[in-house]
Amino acid sequence: MKKILITTTILAIIILTACGNNESQQPSFNETTEKDWSEITTAAEDTTVRIFMWGGDEGINQYMDDWVAPKLKEQYNVTLERVPMNTGEILQKLQTEKQASKDEGTIDIIWINGENFKNAKNNGLLAGSFVDTLPNFNEFYQTDDPAFETDFGTPVEGMEAPWGKVQFVFLYDSAKIDTPPASIVELQEWASNNPGKFTYPNADDFSGNAFLRHILYAKADSPADIYEQPLDKERISETAGEVWNYLNQIEPDLWRSGEHYPNSLTELDRLYSQGEVWMTMGYNEARAESLIDEGVFPETTRSFVMEPGSIGNTHFLSIPFNSSNPEGALTAINFMLSPEAQLAKLKPDYWGENSPISIEKLPDDMKNKFQSVERGNSVLSQQKLEESFLPESEAEYVEWMKEQWFDEIAQK
Amino acid sequence: MKSLKNRTSLLLLPSMLFLLLPLYGMVAAIHQSFSVNNQWTLQNYIQLLESERFVASTIFSLKTSLAATLISLVIGLLLTRYFYTFLERNTPRLMVWLPMLFPHFVWGYMVILVLSETGVVSQMLQAAGWISSSSEFPVWTRDSQGIGIIITYVWKEVPFVILMLLPVYSSIKSEYHDLVKTLGGNRWHRFKTVEWPHILPVFIETFLIVFSFTLAAYEVPALLGTTFPEMLSVLSYDWFYGSSWDDRPLAFAAMVLLSLGVILLTAAAYLFLNKKRWKAMRGRST
Amino acid sequence: MSTKKTTFLLLASVLFIAPALILVLQSLSKTWRFQAGEGFTFSLNSYQTLLSDPNLWTATFWSFTVGSGVLIVNLIIGILTGKALAILSFKGKSWVEVLLLTPILIPVLATAMGLHLFMIRAGLADTAAGVMLIHLVPTIPYSIKIFHNSYNQMGRLMLEQPAILGASPVRQLFTVELPLMKPAVRSVTFLTIVISLSQYAITAIIGGGRIITLPMVFYPFLDTANASIMAAFSVWFAALPLLMYVMVELLMRFLPYSQTLRRNRT
Repeated sequence: MKKILITTTILAIIILTACGNNESQQPSFNETTEKDWSEITTAAEDTTVRIFMWGGDEGINQYMDDWVAPKLKEQYNVTLERVPMNTGEILQKLQTEKQASKDEGTIDIIWINGENFKNAKNNGLLAGSFVDTLPNFNEFYQTDDPAFETDFGTPVEGMEAPWGKVQFVFLYDSAKIDTPPASIVELQEWASNNPGKFTYPNADDFSGNAFLRHILYAKADSPADIYEQPLDKERISETAGEVWNYLNQIEPDLWRSGEHYPNSLTELDRLYSQGEVWMTMGYNEARAESLIDEGVFPETTRSFVMEPGSIGNTHFLSIPFNSSNPEGALTAINFMLSPEAQLAKLKPDYWGENSPISIEKLPDDMKNKFQSVERGNSVLSQQKLEESFLPESEAEYVEWMKEQWFDEIAQK
Repeated sequence: MKSLKNRTSLLLLPSMLFLLLPLYGMVAAIHQSFSVNNQWTLQNYIQLLESERFVASTIFSLKTSLAATLISLVIGLLLTRYFYTFLERNTPRLMVWLPMLFPHFVWGYMVILVLSETGVVSQMLQAAGWISSSSEFPVWTRDSQGIGIIITYVWKEVPFVILMLLPVYSSIKSEYHDLVKTLGGNRWHRFKTVEWPHILPVFIETFLIVFSFTLAAYEVPALLGTTFPEMLSVLSYDWFYGSSWDDRPLAFAAMVLLSLGVILLTAAAYLFLNKKRWKAMRGRST
Repeated sequence: MSTKKTTFLLLASVLFIAPALILVLQSLSKTWRFQAGEGFTFSLNSYQTLLSDPNLWTATFWSFTVGSGVLIVNLIIGILTGKALAILSFKGKSWVEVLLLTPILIPVLATAMGLHLFMIRAGLADTAAGVMLIHLVPTIPYSIKIFHNSYNQMGRLMLEQPAILGASPVRQLFTVELPLMKPAVRSVTFLTIVISLSQYAITAIIGGGRIITLPMVFYPFLDTANASIMAAFSVWFAALPLLMYVMVELLMRFLPYSQTLRRNRT
């Protein structure tokens, strides 16, 4: 027995010491981005690019698989592979690879924003600045738009390229509700008149947290007090008090009397789908369309926003520090930012999501195509959406709201 | 015989090599749990034990897992005991094993599909007019008592318990039963004197496996639990993948403590079992 | 005897068959709303979605390959270790047994990062071999356990006799041990494949997107409110281990005495 243990130990030591890091020297990312664009696309030809992205929406997946991938192959001879993975796990993978100095990774593009971007950037998981290299970004986007310069308060510094733009809306069943509430005060009234028909996902959930931030915006003197200021707990303690007060008041009228909050937006969507609650919510003003199409949501589903407005944010594409095909990644990202790719994304056939592109910068025929897209009955007018648009607050608010909500609402 | 023994111990080599893998993972986790900014510290553990949320979720987790494990074992034992003659055949066995084909999260999802307030059972009852609205249906999923989690685990683990116990039951020679019967023992005697000693080791091992699994697995409580109280695994997952990465060491510390607890429990159980085995062997030889 | 059989069938149907059936039915229908008078509406949409996913077949292939590899290694290590544990008695054996059980006692979340580091250093990250190796962690302890119990029941005499008669260990394994351990092989097959198939996190991290297995395609769909798609995936998911189980069952027919053994039992 002893012999066995000794042999094992020795073998273990051999294995662990023998496989030290064999660092390979790759050309730095900066050198790549400084190349001529034609050089980059030539280098990208006949290569494979792996995009790692959240994969829980069939519309989005089909847009990537059936539209983007074939076109990219056709136009640039680049093979795009979509790998479904949650962003938290993607970053965990990158972080471990960083720790082990693994320079040749398998991830070429990630879909990212908000806190994930902040964590990735602060931990050095991203390749570097690249958006200035992209011809489509320079040509068709408002490059100095504040929405592209900061992402939930974190300076972007060219390390991610805007891919899409979404706005938070509430969804309701127009067969059951005539006029949806126009403010959070009306929402409270509505809930007390219709007990058990409204709830929101818990604060851990991305959408649930956004709902809370809407209440915070509404209770502040002006929403700008929140989104233009870094988190200062002292300064907003009074506003915060009102928020928790409101949420506690509304609690008895919520679904299951607020004893349980849905763990995720999915859970709330299922409740809505079953007619158990009459409202749901979420980022992406057009998200109801595909769900109506699949027969999950009733056809009478419509959307609304409340005073003082609805929060919107931009989501981005970025390149990790150890992408083994940065040229391919740049080519693919540039393509996904192109007017034709953005147009296909806007159409309700696949995804139906809004574009961060500047319509006025487009050639006339493209402009017309963008403007004539019929987004569906459940989507509010572009004008209404723009009027009610509110920018996202800094990422610290998200974490802080989450902790506070847990203490003030859940644990009580 | 000595050389045979030496040769036999070589058989252990592959599994010992294999053990390096999880061991390496564990050491890395322990290392993380003791470090803040690459400094060696106890801070994570102190913070953990002072956290009310951690303590509350530990208690809740222990209660829920223990209930799920014991119920699974009892039901599994009863089913195996009464039906093992059928279960030796292919089709019935596959029938019983069916739930094992589905991953835990699918089973959790199935439980929601069937037993939630808007689930199939509730819908049927409403359609039949037995209850007038879904709010009359008892809250069995995402409840604060952990009922949903327990139901899912029991449903999913009973087949596993059967899988573990079945070979033992099949191997109990019927002569033993006959002996007890001849001596006038009833069913309970038969169970106590013949079956129980045979199954005890496997029973305890199964307990340990199911208990540690239900304590640490994330998917089912994430789907069927509620916000408060929450299972330890959900809390750790939150700390690990949550928006701020500062809480990660806490997640490692929580899981290291949990692992330590389960390993100690297992060690105690094996020492107990081995003592019993030695006793039994000595009893036989004299 | 027949009432017992009826009870069994009844219990098994309600507890084990019905839920699976519900999943099958849901996968073939649009989302149910019985209370709203919308019941079963036959629809193959969910399967269309499923089959249109370009990753589905690759994922099925990889799940099958990885599962088979994991199963083979499990059988080998399980049998070797199980036999050693059954024959040997030494001081500290309890501790060795505890040690062999630990991989399934400690949470994956705790060890995943360290295992990933290990795999990168060993040059196995992002390879199929790495994924197979990592799947051994949650499976090997079960296999060892099951074979250990099985050898124990066989008894030491049965193990020593063939050796005394001069059979080589391999011959002994195929002619004496395996035919007697068929139930154990079945259990190990079943458990190993099911566990290997349902590993999401560690596969995603170690497989690195090169090795895409079924849960990687399936798992993100937990986020869909579309019950039919969920159900269709579950059914697809369950079919694979069932298929592999049947294959192993057929392979076992090639073991010596299989025919006679079956005849004896009936």
